[in-house]
Amino acid sequence: MLEITNLHARVAGKAILKGLNLSVKAGEVHAIMGPNGAGKSTLGNVLAGREGYEVTDGTVTYMGEDLLALPAEERAAKGVFLAFQYPVEIPGVNNTYFLKAALNAQRKYRGEPELDSMQFLKLTREKLKVLSISDELMHRAVNEGFSGGEKKRNEIFQMAMLEPRLGILDETDSGLDIDALKTVAEGVNRLRSPERGFIVITHYQRLLDYIVPDFVHVLADGRIVESGDQSLALELEEHGYSWIKERKLGAAA
Amino acid sequence: MQNWYPGDENGVGGIYNFVTKRGACRGARSKISWTQVETGSAITWKYPSCVLRGDDSVGEFYSVALTNHRQQADTGTKMIHLGARTKSKIISKGISAGRGQNSYRGLVKVEKNADGARNFTQCDSLLIGDRCGVHTFPYIEVKHPGAIVEHEATTSKISDDQLFYCLSRGISAEDAVSMIVNGFCKQVFKELPMEFAVEAKKLLEVSLEGAVG
Ligand SMILES: Nc1ncnc2c1ncn2[C@@H]1O[C@H](COP(=O)(O)OP(=O)(O)OP(=O)(O)O)[C@@H](O)[C@H]1O
Ligand SMILES: [Mg+2]
Repeated sequence: MLEITNLHARVAGKAILKGLNLSVKAGEVHAIMGPNGAGKSTLGNVLAGREGYEVTDGTVTYMGEDLLALPAEERAAKGVFLAFQYPVEIPGVNNTYFLKAALNAQRKYRGEPELDSMQFLKLTREKLKVLSISDELMHRAVNEGFSGGEKKRNEIFQMAMLEPRLGILDETDSGLDIDALKTVAEGVNRLRSPERGFIVITHYQRLLDYIVPDFVHVLADGRIVESGDQSLALELEEHGYSWIKERKLGAAA
Repeated sequence: MQNWYPGDENGVGGIYNFVTKRGACRGARSKISWTQVETGSAITWKYPSCVLRGDDSVGEFYSVALTNHRQQADTGTKMIHLGARTKSKIISKGISAGRGQNSYRGLVKVEKNADGARNFTQCDSLLIGDRCGVHTFPYIEVKHPGAIVEHEATTSKISDDQLFYCLSRGISAEDAVSMIVNGFCKQVFKELPMEFAVEAKKLLEVSLEGAVG
């Protein structure tokens, strides 16, 4: 469903992605690990269509379509969802109101009927219950004054409500207590289906005990430098990223 | 609510709207509350005021002023405390987009016989884009040593992060801006009767057209 070929991207005039290749088929979960500053969030932003991220080479095909040609809001309506590493606060805008506007904008774009308040409320209740998220967060402004963990839970809740085709989670597990971590995993596992794909960016193998990935990739210096299965994550945990470099050097010698 | 013709994108042909409105709270425990939503005119100068003469009288001023393109708004209130234990509250929300300029200009005056007078002023400004401006000119004149006068002011900007967050959830840039602006004005809109609040919200949407992208 997602085919990234030779992707090069610049941010603020600086080359960050330097020939990245990644193929995600429907039904698969891909974990991406890699050192700080490697370009993981940049990849998420490029896929979600953030302005200022300039693609200088390469292609991204999503469901047979040129993803890069679409504006961000259309990508969302077509099922691309990015759970942010640092979700932003929007003071004064009620969380429920925001989410309803988002869901209905997407539905409208897809030619589906919009949900009225009752239908929306019912859906909200269902999803909150499944993810055991307190409905107190729904009455507050979007992310305003949320703790780090609450923000991440809110991202997962939004994902559950919007039911994307392609979920990209950017370090959604960072800074979470064990219960919140399980909520995040539950959010992904509930949505996991043969029609959906996930890219899970994380620094910790721990998350992958709960969300078992089909593939693990290492992103370093703007490229995928190593791919494997879950055992790769375990080895990384043990040896660190320098281990990959050394292995590559060893192979080259 | 005032929505006079603001002129074209350069403000040409727009109305100038210069207004002074004054209210007197003469009786004890009387109250005047002004609520205004200003979106129109090329230039607006408007200062609805309250003279708080009666003891325990109350004055309130709730304001939303929005300028886009080349519009200029200079608006605020005067709260003149004469009677004992008079109270006033000022909530002002200024929004500027395009090359708009928006000023809050207000006077809080406490005369020497106004024992126990109190004022609270909150003045928030929101910038959309980087060619507009917001300003606040709070004048405070206090002649009674026991008066309590508070002034809070904030200035914020709709950030690229906020916009992208909305876009990434499928909300268009235009809807995102109007949502954020409405959130910003909530404190004032909740003072309006339901039908007016709906109108005010629509008026802001129309006035913000072309403010992004
Ligand atoms: N807006 C920006 N302006 C300038 N440099 C940027 C910008 N965004 C990202 N960068 C730079 O691009 C590089 C990659 O950043 P990115 O956020 O993609 O890393 P990351 O792999 O997600 O790191 P982390 O694990 O710390 O989240 C970094 O060197 C960062 O400083
Ligand atoms: Mg990152």
